[in-house]
Amino acid sequence: MQLSFTSLIPLLPFFLSPVSASTAPAAADYHEQLNLKPLPQNSLLASFNFRSNTSLPEFEAHNFRFFPRSLGQILQHAGTRELHLRFSLGRWDAETWGARPWDGTKEGGTGVELWAWLDAESDAEADQKWLTLTNALSGLFCASLNFIDSTRTTRPVMSFRPEGDHPNTTMDNMHLLHGVLPREVVCTENLTPFLKLLPCKGKAGVSSLLDGHKLFDASWQSMAIDVKPVCPVGEECVLQIEQTIDMVLDIERSKRPRDNPIPRPIPGHELKCNTTKPYHAEDTCFPTDSLNAQEWTLDQIFGKHMLGNCPLTDPKTPPVCIQAPHSRDVFTSMDVQELKESGNENQRCYLLPSNEEEFHLALPFMPRDGDRPKTDADEFVQPATPLLYAERSLTGHGQEHGGVQAILTNPSPDSEVEFVYMESLPWFMRIYLHTLKARISHRTGSDAGQTLRDDDEVIQEIYYRPFLDRKRGTQLEIRMKIPPGSTVFMSYDFEKTILRYTEYPPDANRGFDVAAAVITILPSNSTAAAAAAVGKVARTSNLRTTGMLLNLPTPDFSMPYNVIIFTSTCIALAFGGLYNILVRRFVGRDEGPEVSLVKLRRRLQEAVQKLKGRIQEKLGVASKEAKKLEAKSD
Amino acid sequence: MSVDLQNDGDSKPIISPDAATVSLPATGIATTTTPERKEPPPEKEADTRRRSWIVLSFWLITVFIGLPVWWNTTTIYRANLPLTQMTDWADGKACEPVFPLRIALDVGAMPEQEAQNLLRLTQHALDDLNDFSGHHLRLQLAQAPATEAAAASVRDDSNVALTIRLAPGDAAHAASSSLHPHLPILDVQYPPNSLPTANSPSSGLATYIATQLGSTFAEEQNIISYLLETSSITPEHRPKGISQEVVESVSKRMTRQLKYSQTYHLTFSLFTNGPIPSSWDIEAAIDEYMKPVLDMLRPIHNFTIDTQVQLYASPGVQSQVLGKEDLSSFINAAEWPLSPSIGGAPTVNFIIYIGNQTIGVPSEASPAETSQSWMIPQWGSVYLLAPPPAEAAHVSSETLKQPILTFTSHLLTLLGTPQSGSLPLRLSTLARIRSADLLLRASSSLGSLARLTLALPSISIPSNVADGVVKTIQHLELACASLGGGASSQSLEHARVAEREAERAFFEKSMVGQLYFPDEHKIAVYLPLLGPIGVPLVMGLLNEIKAWKSRRSQKLKAA
Repeated sequence: MQLSFTSLIPLLPFFLSPVSASTAPAAADYHEQLNLKPLPQNSLLASFNFRSNTSLPEFEAHNFRFFPRSLGQILQHAGTRELHLRFSLGRWDAETWGARPWDGTKEGGTGVELWAWLDAESDAEADQKWLTLTNALSGLFCASLNFIDSTRTTRPVMSFRPEGDHPNTTMDNMHLLHGVLPREVVCTENLTPFLKLLPCKGKAGVSSLLDGHKLFDASWQSMAIDVKPVCPVGEECVLQIEQTIDMVLDIERSKRPRDNPIPRPIPGHELKCNTTKPYHAEDTCFPTDSLNAQEWTLDQIFGKHMLGNCPLTDPKTPPVCIQAPHSRDVFTSMDVQELKESGNENQRCYLLPSNEEEFHLALPFMPRDGDRPKTDADEFVQPATPLLYAERSLTGHGQEHGGVQAILTNPSPDSEVEFVYMESLPWFMRIYLHTLKARISHRTGSDAGQTLRDDDEVIQEIYYRPFLDRKRGTQLEIRMKIPPGSTVFMSYDFEKTILRYTEYPPDANRGFDVAAAVITILPSNSTAAAAAAVGKVARTSNLRTTGMLLNLPTPDFSMPYNVIIFTSTCIALAFGGLYNILVRRFVGRDEGPEVSLVKLRRRLQEAVQKLKGRIQEKLGVASKEAKKLEAKSD
Repeated sequence: MSVDLQNDGDSKPIISPDAATVSLPATGIATTTTPERKEPPPEKEADTRRRSWIVLSFWLITVFIGLPVWWNTTTIYRANLPLTQMTDWADGKACEPVFPLRIALDVGAMPEQEAQNLLRLTQHALDDLNDFSGHHLRLQLAQAPATEAAAASVRDDSNVALTIRLAPGDAAHAASSSLHPHLPILDVQYPPNSLPTANSPSSGLATYIATQLGSTFAEEQNIISYLLETSSITPEHRPKGISQEVVESVSKRMTRQLKYSQTYHLTFSLFTNGPIPSSWDIEAAIDEYMKPVLDMLRPIHNFTIDTQVQLYASPGVQSQVLGKEDLSSFINAAEWPLSPSIGGAPTVNFIIYIGNQTIGVPSEASPAETSQSWMIPQWGSVYLLAPPPAEAAHVSSETLKQPILTFTSHLLTLLGTPQSGSLPLRLSTLARIRSADLLLRASSSLGSLARLTLALPSISIPSNVADGVVKTIQHLELACASLGGGASSQSLEHARVAEREAERAFFEKSMVGQLYFPDEHKIAVYLPLLGPIGVPLVMGLLNEIKAWKSRRSQKLKAA
């Protein structure tokens, strides 16, 4: 740490007008921002947001400036009005980390998720365009998006709404298609094309921090691309591409040096032990729970330095913000302005000088003891409670009967939550809709946590599109309402199909990935009314469960040859016996021709006898000759 | 079976525990002495016949039911292809590639008799000059006086490739000619006294016109001869050989040009090393400097144009002065977003790179190239532009003039346009060359498909391949016929369809998948079944034949 820190807290906070990311006007052509948010248990949420606009006439004329041409060409070719693409990895730990960034609207299920509104006259035309789109995107992003075929494509009815501003004339011809690849492993080769779409290409600005090694080492990460038309009131409509990367870094893990990334056991004297344990001794250690906050710097956890500002952005917008209590010490490099917002107590932003010097940010170690001991409240802002907790798991038994149980908890003590739960299941999960059950357990009231009872009130509406073997998967959308402080256990059964030999993937025994369920939380009546009063549509928020790994009965793959040989043997046995009985003549043992084996043995014996005789003869001759010789010599 | 046994055994059962115990010691000592063997009792006539029927019926079932079922379930579907027709096309027997070009002679106010005479003599001189039968120039008298408007209308039905406009000039000067820059017209000024008399065998004017025509169409002739030379056509159907130098120069140009396509995407990219300049006036520059040429090319190709600005782009070569070998690696394919074609049409890339680098190669090899730009064969072209003064973030339309003009000339080269002649002539030549090229390509694809069909008897041929082949041949015939008719654009259209169909037939997906199925697998599948079933069947048949033979010989002996 050989930096010269000049701006110490609380040094000259600049109270400027609000410059929050969410209220930035859409008219600016390019915008980028990095939001850092320390989370409990030494985690750090880093949200990168990049937004470029192009006016619609420029887009129609194929003139691309900040909007990436490679993507724009594909969108035009496939008649795409709005596009959402997600690459995700890991699990968001809602219990510890709280509510999701961007209300969960910028994340996808594990793997790759794509949904788009296509401009088409008919369903068949939409399918054709969808095929073109997935194939082209697969080439652009080095992902197997071309494997999104009809079995993985659904047309959600309740879950997704267009985010952009579409004129009413085009709305009628817009078809929504949604596809998921839960098996796809998101990796560095997806990040490279993602960075290529940015005007500054990871060479300057906050994108210079992005590095595949750190990004895909994160506990959870999600890359999102959203393309939508935006029409600000009283201004020209623009096409907006928003690229977002969110990741939760384990600070300790990220700080591992790059040249020595293998985790090694901590030497004994560095271990932090819980000394209150009775068995604590020189050679016994119980690790402490309460980890002290780590010190970290920007280049330590990202493995790279941030190379100044991207010159295309509005110089008034701060590129880096951190959400931490004001009591948290933060050091930055010279010439950096710190902006504190009057409205948001916990946010600090940093305005960089317009040169290409490296930007440094460091959060030092804060001692928990001593003169002014610090607490957790000084380290991070307590994360907000999410609107809903959701988990989903497989139940069932044996090779045939399976089941799915989703546990949905409304943590709010006073408001109910209404949402749409969407599953798109593969066709080889034959679900029985009549087994769909929702049982509710109240956390408060007379039967608190005691009973589970069936509740018809919970499920409000079901949209179900059954599977067709090898053609399309099941689509299940359920609108539910959960009363405050209750947990709903929703379950259904399914039957596992035996697939054809060639339909198994190369590592069939690993299991089949089932896509995450998408939960869209609808705005409550009060917020919807409040939004309508301002003339806006209230935003929905999303969350996704984890994916599932389904084990199907897997055959032994040498099976075809075994079957061929086994049946052939059976046929041969039956046929040979039958045919011989029909054709052979049965006679007495001494009457029939000699059995060939006996004959063979006799012949062999005869031959041996003959050979013996000959050898003896030869030997005899030889001895005679020898005798003769002896006689001669005598 | 039990009935059989009782019938056969006259007094005692054949197989009885007694018999077994009795014969046991016999086998025990069989090693030294052969046991007494009894002859089995004679078989009844009915039994022998029944056994023959059984063997026969088994064989009949195998041959008449088993074999056909096996055959039907395992044969690969092979649609009938017109193989001889296909090879005929590939060998050039089906179509004589002849390009008779009509050239109108507009004599102005010359008397009819003299005009006819001049026409006859010029045609004669032309035939003497031209030794390539495939490319034939035919003169005719113009119907109407060749005003510019008329020439323009004539170009539309494209029956006449070129109009020669004769005008009497100064007697003192020798004949001179010039090509009209915007219309397919050759203006010839002749001294009035050089007109041929009624029965003179030759004329200076006629020879002059013939030589002029010959030189005008020389390049086209060379290219077409080269195409025929390198095609799959057998030597006897080829024109006479062309000289080695011509082949070399033409082949150099042919390898540069892009594969024919109806539509090309033109992508103009501005790459800069740093953050500026980030905008340019490309639309205006293209409209002004490139659009006119693109509009002229419209009957042959369609173009879509898109432009992009890419900042922070580092080239593949960092050195200040670019050597010859650096030029090929200058494009940083890994980082620059120059995605390839979409929707089947190839992309032509035009790159303006703003940086301080210069080219250190003297470009005397191809004087058309300036020292700031170079062309990448079959891909596009690069232009190095010096950084704009100061902190200017915008590139103006005037700065782009030179690059766009260079790109225009590179585009014509990439499309395979001939280098000499006026622009309309070059374009009509381009249409003819392209239709000949497509025709030959489609024919050779047909030939390859025919060879593939013959070479791989185990490959399946779906019916849509056969459809494609039929369609190809049909369009090839139309294209070949309209080559002769002179309606170039129509023959181009047919050749285009034929080529597309031929490619689609050749690259049929389901054919490629089943290309390889090794015979070892077949053995592994068939042997376990056919072995155990085949051996009893064959042995039964052999025994039966043996028995039948012995019975016959016994009968003969008895007789």
